[in-house]
Amino acid sequence: MSALGHYLEEEGIATVAISLIRPQTEKTRPPRALWVSFALGRPFGPPSEPAFQRRVVLGALRLLERPTGPVIIEDFPDDDPRGKSDAAWRPPSLPAILADRTPAVLASRLDAEILLLADLHRRWIAERGRTAVGLSGLSAQELGAYIGEWLHGREPLSPNPGFSPLLLLPFAADDLKAYCLEAGAAEPGKPSSRQLYDWFWRATAAGAALIALRHTLLASDSERVKLIAGNFLVPPPYVPSTDRPTTIAGPTMGPWQPGL
Amino acid sequence: MVRLADLPPAQAQRLAAFDCPNFATQPWVTGPPLSRRRVAIVSSAGLVVRGSVPFRGRDPDYHTIPPGTRPDDLLISHVSINFDRTGFQEDWNVVFPIDRLNELVAQRTIGSVADTHYSFMGAAEPDLIEPHARELAGRLKRDGVDSVVLAPV
Repeated sequence: MSALGHYLEEEGIATVAISLIRPQTEKTRPPRALWVSFALGRPFGPPSEPAFQRRVVLGALRLLERPTGPVIIEDFPDDDPRGKSDAAWRPPSLPAILADRTPAVLASRLDAEILLLADLHRRWIAERGRTAVGLSGLSAQELGAYIGEWLHGREPLSPNPGFSPLLLLPFAADDLKAYCLEAGAAEPGKPSSRQLYDWFWRATAAGAALIALRHTLLASDSERVKLIAGNFLVPPPYVPSTDRPTTIAGPTMGPWQPGL
Repeated sequence: MVRLADLPPAQAQRLAAFDCPNFATQPWVTGPPLSRRRVAIVSSAGLVVRGSVPFRGRDPDYHTIPPGTRPDDLLISHVSINFDRTGFQEDWNVVFPIDRLNELVAQRTIGSVADTHYSFMGAAEPDLIEPHARELAGRLKRDGVDSVVLAPV
């Protein structure tokens, strides 16, 4: 991000960056940056809090009027008020995760869960007017089938001609997570992201399926498969201790390689 | 999260030790008061408009977010799974604060908002991004943009 600021500024465009990782900003020394203490992924603060977001945006823009610089790195004073848990939020009621983690059981439970969450997900879309599901081009039911095929050790057909089945897998996983997380957030309350992710990874069949799929694919002979499974399905805090390391070193992902 | 101290130790260590570009120059562009500036958002969240091809791996080019893009049209295709996406799922302004910028225009705090906005993939290599960023600067100027808010995830 700071590199972008450097290039644009050299071309005559004034820039101000939001900084999420202060040590990186201090190293890169962009012309202007406003450091915020919010979670990675929330550069402008909590959702549905326009007054708070406006203060962040304006705090950054005001740095453009400073007469002296570079370098300006200023700290936004407030933490994310939605970073705290909401005791009033209750996750959707789902069947307990079974100890049986065979592919057939995982795939079957995943399909059933997608159906169980459908009403909540429709409520989410009706209330919010949007969904972040849509990267893979697969419907919710197709997502279950797609992940299920991988669980069974079969490589499904990619519905997108520009993407191999392997390259589409992280997008399908992202869509599955978004579908479940949106359904979970449709329950009353204002859950923190931690509450939502803890529920997803510890109490849903979708989370169990992705953790199991990561484990299975790490046994592949293909370095590409191991790279994608190891790094782009399950975040490190939720990788079981028996499946460490949490990240897999290997060839870089890109730039885009047709063979991937 | 947050502060690095709040992150899992391995992730915090990796982020703090991240190899960052070291530039020989320190550019600095000044401009008129905010009330006369035209502002664009340049994100590194791997934002794409629904139906377009997502970023693949560490693609170093950028996608455009055209005029009329609605909240339901915008998706994150960033390769990393190590950041929160639930905020964006609820409210696109968490990552793409277009409604906040338009409010600041209505209040006459800033002059105007660009018609088109842009997104890179934050995981791309900085030196590979460079030609695309310099080309983008020309597009921004042709749109009359003099100021950019850089939005990471």
